[in-house]
Amino acid sequence: MDHKHIEMRSVRKSYRFFTLDDLSMSLEPGEVMGFVGPNGAGKSTTLRLAMGMIAPDAGEIHVLGHAMPDAQAAAKRDIGYVSAEMRLLPNATLGWHMEFVKSIYPEWDGGYAAALVKRFNLRPEQNARSLSVGEHVKATLLLALARRPRLLILDEPTNGLDPVARHEVISEFMDVLRDDNRSILYSSHNTVDVERISDRITFIDRGRVVESSNKEDFLDRWRRIHVQLPAGVSLPDLPNIVGRVEDGQFITLTTNQYSEGLRALIGSHVRDVQRMNLEEIFVANVMFHREARGA
Amino acid sequence: MNIVIRKLIAKELYVYRWLIAGGAFAGVASILIASLGKGGFNIGALTWLTTIIATGVVLALYGIMNERKEQSLQFVLSLPLSISEYVRAKMLGLFAGFLIIWSISCAAALVLVFFKASVPDGLAPYVTLLSVFMLANFAVVLCGALHTQSEAMTSAVIVVTNMGVSIFMFTVGPLPGLQKHMWSPAPVWNDTFWTVLGCELAVLVIAFTLPFIFAARRRDFL
Repeated sequence: MDHKHIEMRSVRKSYRFFTLDDLSMSLEPGEVMGFVGPNGAGKSTTLRLAMGMIAPDAGEIHVLGHAMPDAQAAAKRDIGYVSAEMRLLPNATLGWHMEFVKSIYPEWDGGYAAALVKRFNLRPEQNARSLSVGEHVKATLLLALARRPRLLILDEPTNGLDPVARHEVISEFMDVLRDDNRSILYSSHNTVDVERISDRITFIDRGRVVESSNKEDFLDRWRRIHVQLPAGVSLPDLPNIVGRVEDGQFITLTTNQYSEGLRALIGSHVRDVQRMNLEEIFVANVMFHREARGA
Repeated sequence: MNIVIRKLIAKELYVYRWLIAGGAFAGVASILIASLGKGGFNIGALTWLTTIIATGVVLALYGIMNERKEQSLQFVLSLPLSISEYVRAKMLGLFAGFLIIWSISCAAALVLVFFKASVPDGLAPYVTLLSVFMLANFAVVLCGALHTQSEAMTSAVIVVTNMGVSIFMFTVGPLPGLQKHMWSPAPVWNDTFWTVLGCELAVLVIAFTLPFIFAARRRDFL
């Protein structure tokens, strides 16, 4: 049976100063979901819930068909997890870690592991304590990828990496995606990386999912419309406007449902319509929802 | 026992191999010092006690608290195991590590008692009780460190258990059933000995079992 790789329904997790509330999302086999949110939005909490490292206060989580966190041991057989915060055991070398992981996962691909060691310029004899931040991320990624997992859960894996290292890591993800049955849940606040590899994007802010959609859908719907109004003329009531900035006779409108009909409503006052990149969409989306919630 | 638990137990022994080897060596070296006359005996006995207590504390602190603090716990928890399997592996791995240090050091102390003419064999029951006390003490530290997620609470457990060693020496040592025979040429394994040993074993069993019942059922481990 081909289960959804991740399915969360009405998940709630409360801490003293933070609550992840009513989180529902799903990840299909072969899909790459970018999970984007500002710092403290609940990205890591969500990913740890998916890994069974923490349990929800309410709601249901199924990963690779296993109920989490109860069946986490079975689910994690097929999950590769990498987090920017995660560290290897400080008193052991990378080579020891590779042997250790290999002894647990029969699917370990030694040839691929050796290729990754070379590609990432790592040294198996190096002690984990002496690895730089970038080397640490690459080492944990190597340990996760060489197991050939069906699902990769990546918690801000490119944090702290220089542009070259980021390129190497992202290229490796692209390689993983050649296999249609493997999926990735990728959290980040770096929208450039997310935009590059994701099929689907979920925005999260202050513990709530703000919006979830296909990447192309986001990029198609969101527009910035620059309007110049002559004196004494005002705009009609416009639907789906989520942001408005006025500077004298110049008005910049942000819409999350652009259509030619909307443009026609504004008429000849439109000076320019710009596509927005994912970062602009993310910021506008978050700010709109914060205002709507009265935050 | 599944392969992941076995590998994690082996991991504890590997990661702390130098501490374990150093602790065992220091335990034996302390006994050698203790065999060098009266002054040596006092210094050696103190070093022996300190070695066993300190290595136990370091094992618990590094094995549990530092793993959490340095974020390598995330790496371990990303492996295919449940929280209860993690707790089981951690308890067994660290306990096995400490057991190596403890058994070598305590065996060396008993060898000194039985084979060194100037040390009366009558000390054997007291040395045995002190040794088992330190094993129980380690189990309590381990239990505390696995139950609490706070470094401050673990430190408090360590302070209390360290004080426990002094309290043991001040209260159990003077027990008439033990003190009377301490300097005898032959060991006396009387009711007092068995009662104290029974209490120590009870504490050991409880402290060793509690994490399997409570910490293993925790649903949040980060």
